[in-house]
Amino acid sequence: MTESGAPAASGGGSTPAGRGSAERVLTLEREASLQERLLARDERALVELVELVTPWLLGVAQGMLSDRDEAEEVVQEAFTIVWRRADLFDRESGRLVPWLLRITRNRAIDRLRARRRRSLKTTCFETHAAGEAGWTQAIEPNEAALPGWQVHETVHSALRELPEDQLLVVRLAYFEGLTHSEIAGRLGIPLGTVKTRLRLAFDKLRGRLASIRDWVT
Amino acid sequence: MTTHEWFIEHRTAFVARTLEPDEERSFHEHLAGCAECRAELERIERELAWLPMGAAPVRPRPGLTRALVDGAIGTRRRSPGWLIPAGLAAALLIAVGSWSWARRTVELARADFDQQRTRLLQELAMVRDTLGIIRTADKVRHASITMGERHGGLVIFADDRTHRWNVVVYGLPAPEPGEVCQFWFITGTGMVKSVEVKTDGGGPAFLTLPMPATGGTVMGAALTMEPAGSTTDTPQGTELAHLMM
Repeated sequence: MTESGAPAASGGGSTPAGRGSAERVLTLEREASLQERLLARDERALVELVELVTPWLLGVAQGMLSDRDEAEEVVQEAFTIVWRRADLFDRESGRLVPWLLRITRNRAIDRLRARRRRSLKTTCFETHAAGEAGWTQAIEPNEAALPGWQVHETVHSALRELPEDQLLVVRLAYFEGLTHSEIAGRLGIPLGTVKTRLRLAFDKLRGRLASIRDWVT
Repeated sequence: MTTHEWFIEHRTAFVARTLEPDEERSFHEHLAGCAECRAELERIERELAWLPMGAAPVRPRPGLTRALVDGAIGTRRRSPGWLIPAGLAAALLIAVGSWSWARRTVELARADFDQQRTRLLQELAMVRDTLGIIRTADKVRHASITMGERHGGLVIFADDRTHRWNVVVYGLPAPEPGEVCQFWFITGTGMVKSVEVKTDGGGPAFLTLPMPATGGTVMGAALTMEPAGSTTDTPQGTELAHLMM
């Protein structure tokens, strides 16, 4: 893998700003170096990581929670875990940035479900319904300069290839944190239909995203 | 649909966290005893690792990056002197700070506890899994191995229901430098290379192996001493043991 190691069949849109620019990509080597420096309590490594991935972590958390302050708290929790427990990261079984994304997403879902248990469900759903466009397009005009933009475009391209009904349930399930039954209730369709659409969609996504599994950001 | 089939069908949903809370709890409990599902979940997690990047990025507010670093490291910015209130206000700040510190400490402790609990559950599951195969084995086969003055053996517990074997190799010395002890499946179409067995002359080596994906019906197994780093798919070295099921 090279620094500009874009997969030939990524399906991503052309993003000249993101290609071949060594200072704006995260190579395996840089990632390994970051982890080693984090383990060695090198604060500059944490600064580097925070600058690199915060926009993406905020995007994940805010997409689910629809609350900027709470999203920032979730991202803070994720970085705290990474800083305090970098030893928990298993380089053999995963990559550092996906690990951070997973922690953030899980924390956001936990908060979302705790919030729903506190009977704020309706408010939350209404907020999400009003902000559907947020997950599909960049908020800022020059986001293509962000490190990781190529990955975003490739993921998006894979999502856009899904049939509309499958794309909708993936959005609600994966990017807004709804469970099967919540999606069924929200869309007014049988639970079995939700499960089938999600299964079909994830099967396709697993295949299409395989090409960037070991990609750099 | 059997119980395990349900879990197989919902693996991706578990990774994506779209299951209901009670289903998610059941899945966690199932994982504690199912190595196959754990392995498959790892694979799915890898395949979907970058999917969260489908969310639109959000540019951080000015100063957030520094605040995130400070928050993670646990440093506090020094407040200007003129802002420091006296008396009750100071006490209040201390109380709030203590509460915040305690909350962060509890959160970190909880994260540690969760991680340790998950690891312990996984280790317990592996032990249960290993014992489960031994307890319910449909066939048990043994072969003696003699290497110089050392006498050891190969034991296979075959569980036909889960299509897995527990393999025990004992009493063997460590391989000579440049050699490895290699386990092979004997299938209907030939030998299928499996895993290296770590023998050091001390305790026995335990392996839990699924049936190979290629080669057809598994009829037996063999143990050989192979040149280290060998990439050939057929045994080249000395055969130590040979067992037919």
